[in-house]
Amino acid sequence: MKTPSEDHDLIRWLDGEMTDAERARFSTRLAADPDLKAEVEMMQRMSSDLRAHLPAEMTVPYGDFFNSQIQVRLAQEEPLIPEARASWLDWLRLPTLITATAAVAIAGFMIMQKGPAAGDSVVLSIYVPNASVHARTFHSDEAQATVLMLDGVEAIPADRKIVGYYIERTETDQEVAMTTLYGKSGEVVLVVSKDVRNQPRLLSATPRG
Amino acid sequence: MPASTAPEPGEVSDSDLVKRCQAGDTRAFDVLVSRYRGKVYAMTYHMIQNETEAWDLSQEAFIKAWRAMPNFKLDSAFYTWLYRITHNVTYDWLRKKKMHGDGEFDDSRTEHRVAAGAEAVPRNEPAPDIALKNAELGKRINDAIAKLSPEHKQVILLREVEGLAYEEIAQTIPCSLGTVMSRLFYARKKLQEMLKDAYENAL
Repeated sequence: MKTPSEDHDLIRWLDGEMTDAERARFSTRLAADPDLKAEVEMMQRMSSDLRAHLPAEMTVPYGDFFNSQIQVRLAQEEPLIPEARASWLDWLRLPTLITATAAVAIAGFMIMQKGPAAGDSVVLSIYVPNASVHARTFHSDEAQATVLMLDGVEAIPADRKIVGYYIERTETDQEVAMTTLYGKSGEVVLVVSKDVRNQPRLLSATPRG
Repeated sequence: MPASTAPEPGEVSDSDLVKRCQAGDTRAFDVLVSRYRGKVYAMTYHMIQNETEAWDLSQEAFIKAWRAMPNFKLDSAFYTWLYRITHNVTYDWLRKKKMHGDGEFDDSRTEHRVAAGAEAVPRNEPAPDIALKNAELGKRINDAIAKLSPEHKQVILLREVEGLAYEEIAQTIPCSLGTVMSRLFYARKKLQEMLKDAYENAL
């Protein structure tokens, strides 16, 4: 009677799982044992027939329906990336309000830039995330004000109370190229940086009360 | 691991499609389904030998893959990953069937696989031609596979159909290498017994 190890040798030989030395030893045994040789040949033939009659790939019946049923089920599934619950960050997704954010960011940069005369501000660049929105600025020395005009902006929904931020002062950290905009009470309102194209990039914003 | 169906030149790679799926693109997943449904279906069909249930289980495997997509780190080929999911879905189904006592071999399950006229060929007489003989042998093989336990069926299909090495089978199941070898040996011995007369008559 064969030991489990001998049984394993038989299938390891069949499946090519032996080392060269093991294979050589087993081949010697095969040559000396006609019964073992007959069993190996039978198993070899059976393996070959199994592979021939059990294809690794088959035509799926009603293939198009198969795909469409999966799509139907996916539509009923929860989204893979769950949508964030309604929060103050929602407004950041609206093109209109992103534009408004950009405007605020620009305002922050205007404040932090030193103009030709004390108290003046200069718009160095305008970045509008939404290509359908066009931004222009108008500066009045007399009024000591810069007006940002946005064309193509959608109406802000009535239930959104976002009309802008009041920026009291800004601080720029040159080392990390980051500007923090503070509100009236000294609270951090926005943190703005610049991207590789030297355009303003909003890092964080405090929800308005 | 099982050979994947490599995309044709100009086709979007699996990894790109996976990334799109992970961003929620169901159309990208549809491309992956078309690419691998034949392999997934074959695997489930060989395990359970029922067209309708193999079709449903293949669907289930793809849905599970979609749900698990956010956790797939692309640290293996997509098909290897999908293959493991399919294997687990099918094996779980087989085990449940066995637990409920309805996993016995049902001859009607393989009726559609039988070549025309094959049923009429007496088992102990030689087939009239090679084609018919092959069809008969195919039926006998399917019948024999169906009679194996889920554990033995699993290792035989992983080895003979998918061509996995022992180490890969051990990882897929998962179990020890010794268990893989024992199961393979006994699965083959059982198949050998069941197919013995078919081979003797063919000689």
